Amino acid sequence: MAREQLPYIGAILEAIREEMQRDETVLYYGQNIATTENDPFLQAFGPDRVRVTPISETAEIGMAVGAAVAGYRPVVELYMAEFMLVAMDQVVNEANRFHYMSGGQVKVPVVLKAGYGFTAGWAGQHTGTIYGMFMGVPGLKVAVPSTPADAKGLMTASIRDDNPVVFFHHYLLTLEHGDVPEGEHVVPLGQANVAREGSDVTIVGIGWTVGKALAAAEQLAADGVSAEVIDPRTLAPLDTATILASVEKTGRLVVVDQSTRHGSAAAVIAAEVASEGFSSLKAPVQLVCALDATIPYSEPMEEYILPNEAKIVDAVHQVLSPTAA
Amino acid sequence: MAGNGLDKERLTWILTQMTRIREFEERVKGTFEEHPGVIRGHTHLADGAEASIVGSLAALRDDDQLLTTYRCHGYPVALGTDPKALMAEIYGRSTGICKGYGGSMHLTDVSRGFMGTSGIVGQGIPHATGAAYAAQIRKKGQVVLCFFGDGASKQGAFHESLNIASLWKLPVVYIMENNNYNVVTRTEQEDANAAAGEPLAVKAKAFSMPGVTVDGGDPLAVYDVVSAAVERARAGEGPTLVESLVYRLSAHGNIIVPPGIPLHFPEHEAIEVFGNVEEYEAAKRGDPVPRFRSKLVTDGTLTPEEADAIAQSARDEMAAAVTYGVESPFPAPDDAVKYVYA
Amino acid sequence: MAVEGGAGRELLRTMWRIRVFEERVGQLTRADEVHGLVHLSSGSEGVAAGVCGQLRADDVVYSNHRAHGHAIAKGAPLAGVMAELMGRDGGLCRGMGGSMHLVDAAHGFLGATGVVGGNVPLALGSALAGRLQGGDQVAVVFFGDGAVQGGIFAESVNLATLWGLPVILVCENNGFAEFTPRSAHTNVERVSDVVSPYGLERETVDGNDVGAVRDAFARFLAAARAGGGPALLECLTVRLRGHYEGDPQLYREALAADEWQELDPILRLQRRGLEEGWLEADAPARLEQEARDEVEDAVHAARESPFPPPGLTVELVYAP
Repeated sequence: MAREQLPYIGAILEAIREEMQRDETVLYYGQNIATTENDPFLQAFGPDRVRVTPISETAEIGMAVGAAVAGYRPVVELYMAEFMLVAMDQVVNEANRFHYMSGGQVKVPVVLKAGYGFTAGWAGQHTGTIYGMFMGVPGLKVAVPSTPADAKGLMTASIRDDNPVVFFHHYLLTLEHGDVPEGEHVVPLGQANVAREGSDVTIVGIGWTVGKALAAAEQLAADGVSAEVIDPRTLAPLDTATILASVEKTGRLVVVDQSTRHGSAAAVIAAEVASEGFSSLKAPVQLVCALDATIPYSEPMEEYILPNEAKIVDAVHQVLSPTAA
Repeated sequence: MAGNGLDKERLTWILTQMTRIREFEERVKGTFEEHPGVIRGHTHLADGAEASIVGSLAALRDDDQLLTTYRCHGYPVALGTDPKALMAEIYGRSTGICKGYGGSMHLTDVSRGFMGTSGIVGQGIPHATGAAYAAQIRKKGQVVLCFFGDGASKQGAFHESLNIASLWKLPVVYIMENNNYNVVTRTEQEDANAAAGEPLAVKAKAFSMPGVTVDGGDPLAVYDVVSAAVERARAGEGPTLVESLVYRLSAHGNIIVPPGIPLHFPEHEAIEVFGNVEEYEAAKRGDPVPRFRSKLVTDGTLTPEEADAIAQSARDEMAAAVTYGVESPFPAPDDAVKYVYA
Repeated sequence: MAVEGGAGRELLRTMWRIRVFEERVGQLTRADEVHGLVHLSSGSEGVAAGVCGQLRADDVVYSNHRAHGHAIAKGAPLAGVMAELMGRDGGLCRGMGGSMHLVDAAHGFLGATGVVGGNVPLALGSALAGRLQGGDQVAVVFFGDGAVQGGIFAESVNLATLWGLPVILVCENNGFAEFTPRSAHTNVERVSDVVSPYGLERETVDGNDVGAVRDAFARFLAAARAGGGPALLECLTVRLRGHYEGDPQLYREALAADEWQELDPILRLQRRGLEEGWLEADAPARLEQEARDEVEDAVHAARESPFPPPGLTVELVYAP
């Protein structure tokens, strides 16, 4: 008998809990967690492995690196991606470089858990999609699950990986329910998923935009357009092979990303396909990204900025019959 | 005696602003029930901190400046910004003080010296420090007030800023509103000084800066301490760290959930998380707004009728702000791409 | 307790090895055999020797960009350090890190870092791990007076104090942070005063008196091993060279030779050893020559070591 579906956030916490049970070197700490004795993690694993920290991201992340080098596997609860920015040095200039610069002597198995993309009136400083800043950082891995099952599987893989991983979970997906395998469930980092098979066009979505892409694909099917939807699931390392294989089949590519254009994973994917799969393309690649602006507070403006199904459908029509420039 | 030298007009002004702030915050909170869906995202109220806010602002000259945290509604209300424009901003309307671009956490009124906020704990402290540097070289004797919470004092930005301000003798007063909570964490769980039972003002020693703790529930005590710090700053003698002890009467903010689930204010964390009803009840008994009203009435500064009139006027004013807000138009969608660059 | 006898000779040996090594690296830098940005610790040998000489291999040391002396004092082989500075495969880090990123995990030297203050929370992590593992290992982090004004430092002190972590913060206060004197960075002169609000154990010593360094550190070490929390040891010392090799140092007056003779930790200890009789008359010259021989062997070994294969840059990005 299959169990009840879990919410996305529940799947992530289940992964952390199960990994903490399996491996006593896994730690979980951050701001505003475990402040009372009936916190479930605190009850299960005690105050050594589960702690509350002050608002000190720089110290929290730097400390995670030091503990990791000394043999522990910290998961740092950062809540929002933007809260990493004050401590960027520790993320992209310390954690990722240790193994390399020591000639392979030490490793840094750290997971930085950070929510993103909370475009629901949270205004300019809490709603960004900034995973692009962390791609291409040598030694750093970046996971972006779009479903509860993948959220659990990728968190498990992230904790087990011996490298620092930034684990971005989308805030608007927090309570999305889905089937989540019970017990050990690993989704390897660097492996994309074909979320929907099709033959006329490839749509790559990331995180929250995967759902938008699937909805657009339904709409397009009614018009007789068969869209294949791909979810990379990990942005670094990026599974370009799966994307290229799909573009070889369909010849047309639309990439949907909630980031701003030049800070997007979409731009990276488009560049990869343009350089490695050019001969497959029957039309220029279309990017559906957020407009180049800080996310505004007021709702009509917020909607205007972001990708949506209509924009995706438009982009698909563009690649199917490109108008002259 | 605290507040010596303040005449009836000034004392009345203080009570009026405290009352107006309280009423404004009550109406913001009430919007969640009366007009669900109108306020989106996260809003943070200053009910309980009115004495600290107004006592501090009472020490300012017209050309002084301030920067605050995302718990920012009270300051522009007291400075004289039209509450209609503030409420409209919180409701995301084009008539808002920031034209709907900022929302509750990012109110700004440069015309009155309210230079802005940050939604990221502690990161406004360096901003205020820079404004004080500009004030210093502008040589008009301006002073900058920098408001932040106790949680921010664990941020590197706090330490880095106070060190520079002290070194450069910048004309800034750092006002830490210590309400003993950082969301669901109590200060002694995260601060080595609090854990040792010390006032947080001791942190000033690290910067060779005066540090003073004051009862943030008494506007006249706050006024005395902040005025002295402002005069010190204005005289070119450098910054001061003021620890103002307050109790916020609402929870940290409205609950945080994805769209589809109605937003509302939960109970204060003292009750909801720590089960400490007595602490909260005691704070309510010591509510600074009725306390100050009582003081002015019992010592004859105001008659009960005058005090009632202030309260009624505030109620009318803020009700009108709500109406104005809900009736205001939204911005045009493509306004979204304006103001990206100057 | 005054330093003497075998302990004294051991400290002198360490200080001479560092002194000669740094001098040689300076020459090699000017001769273009050592490339890139190099920061020499000439003048502060007493701090490295006085502190690291008391540590075990399982005690972890972090340092900053001026790390050669700390690495050597913690047990890193001279040949490995020299080869690393020359970018060779035989270097401590196979040439991947260079001067500012020396790591010798086998000796508990987890390394030099290039961003000021970035090493302080790392030491907290090591201290936390040691505590959780139930042993009495400690973590030590070296930093300069310039690091103390950074946000990272303050955040770390609060957290280390709150959680009672066995980390010993050793500040080499040489009065300069890069090209500016301390007075341009803060109006609090003593680093030990900066941390006074946190109530942790702290002391300021003459960093050029290796015995004073050793004694103060010994007390902090014993307390940390016994389950105590953090402590700060401020060592007032001298940065003889510029911030980096090649720095024209237009911002400071050169220390007069006779003034340095009075301050030099090596000369001071030797004078006392000779006076008190635990150093033979020829010991200073012999110790210096032994150091020169050892350093020259290291240079020779480094020159013989091949450069790493280019493929190593790709191979080492991720742990497998």
